[in-house]
Amino acid sequence: MPNRKFTNKPDDIVNELLEGFVLAHPDKIRLAGSNLVVRAQPKAQDQVAVVTLGGSGHEPALSGYVGPGMLDISVPGDIFAAPGPPRLVEALEMADRPAGVLLVVLNHAGDVMSAKVAMQMAQAKGLNVKQVLTHEDISVPSRRDPKDRRGLAGCLFVIKVAGAAAEKGYSLDECLAVAERMEKNMATLAVATAGASHPATGQVIAEVPDGRMNVGMGQHGEAGTGEQELKTADATARLMLEMLVKDLDVQSGEDLLVMINGVGSATLMELYIVLRQVKRLCDAKGINLARTLVGEYLTVQEMGGFQMCIARMDDELLELWDAPCCTPALTLC
Amino acid sequence: MNAIGYEDIKRMLLAAAELIRAHHQRLSELDSFGGDGDHGTTMVRAMGCLEKGMAQAADGRIDDLLNQVGWAILGVDGGATGPLFGSLFMGMGQAVGDRDAVDVVLLADMFEAARESVANVTQAQVGDKTLVDALVPAVTALRAAADKGEDVLVALDEAARAAQQGAEGTRDMAARFGRARNRGEASKGQPDPGATSMALVFQGFAQGVRTHGGS
Repeated sequence: MPNRKFTNKPDDIVNELLEGFVLAHPDKIRLAGSNLVVRAQPKAQDQVAVVTLGGSGHEPALSGYVGPGMLDISVPGDIFAAPGPPRLVEALEMADRPAGVLLVVLNHAGDVMSAKVAMQMAQAKGLNVKQVLTHEDISVPSRRDPKDRRGLAGCLFVIKVAGAAAEKGYSLDECLAVAERMEKNMATLAVATAGASHPATGQVIAEVPDGRMNVGMGQHGEAGTGEQELKTADATARLMLEMLVKDLDVQSGEDLLVMINGVGSATLMELYIVLRQVKRLCDAKGINLARTLVGEYLTVQEMGGFQMCIARMDDELLELWDAPCCTPALTLC
Repeated sequence: MNAIGYEDIKRMLLAAAELIRAHHQRLSELDSFGGDGDHGTTMVRAMGCLEKGMAQAADGRIDDLLNQVGWAILGVDGGATGPLFGSLFMGMGQAVGDRDAVDVVLLADMFEAARESVANVTQAQVGDKTLVDALVPAVTALRAAADKGEDVLVALDEAARAAQQGAEGTRDMAARFGRARNRGEASKGQPDPGATSMALVFQGFAQGVRTHGGS
């Protein structure tokens, strides 16, 4: 794939990206320690800290969610690669406080391994850290083991409600319970219409032939199982929503939070057209489209297509979702 | 030779790093079939960490040398590579303790500890097309050699051979772990890059001891 990206030396991409990112949002975030993204104004020590980790190249995720109402610290890794345990331990020590620390981990091999080693070290150091794993991708055929499911853009829901709970003074166990309830009640499905390339190596990480789409393609271009003829927005939205609603067993009368997340080159126009169809389908089923979010929240370079994330909401989750937040990539007020 | 010392372990580490560097393009190419094509560059960075770790180690302590190397590799920030290879060296370091001479039985103990340390971070089993497919047969071969009372170098050669065979054997497997697993059957036909790296590391260990002829 020809390089059409404005970058400098491949080895400098992550550093330069982070430098620009904090320059763009000096009122909200800054860099601390070994390239950890932290809040410009730390929150009170009697509130639980929320920390996450993840590869770079998915901007604005995940560091875009550092700020009041959401994360305290984000540990960015190399392009599409988890940070190692030492920087994660550094972040956990930095976040350590009497109220405790909640670590949000997306289910990808490198992230899970780094978190496992870091959690063991944190515990050996006597830190009070608990972990929630997001694994809501329903495309993985094996339903026997939910741990096989990848963590996609739904992590945003978990970070939002856990962050709000922390801000409201929930205990670590209460924050964990809310995060886990959100996680269990959400499902994501991705569709790709065009591939993407690795910004450092130029390697094509996903390929979708012209006129085709791939339902279930992951956020590193991992193949889904559903390559098929490209369909209209309405037909694609129907196909995906049916699978999601069935997986979560959403019933008539229930409240849904729906996010249509553009993964890189999908236009906002497309995303709005998809959301409109989601609303029609929900109306027909008697499902209440309680909250919506449309935009680019977790991207995969220039990949075409979107992730559809749905979540069944209860009163408490809705209240936490509606709580104010002010971060570079999501502001609700 | 019956036992190896601190300088031999250093040579083993450096020889492994050299072999990885010599083959990094091949490793990235293998990764391009199931991953994102950066395994070679990540391993080269990990080997840079290895050398940095060696420089920070207190002179003369094998356990400190291996722990420093392991910790440095953990910090490579390259996805699963850091935790897997970092754990490998940390496991070896924990097993050697304060001893300054490693005979074939202790060497087998160290590699078994390394295998357990890797198992602590991944649930991958033999047959899942991961570096475990090279590591497990290598450790088994090393233990078998130790049980027969073989020379350290012979034991390392047998481990390297078993690792190489194990890595080759991943060619016909469908990936069940990591990013490549999502390609399922399409992941067949190429050996796993992680297993190939692991085999190179074992090959480097044997070469590092052989080049010197023992201490």
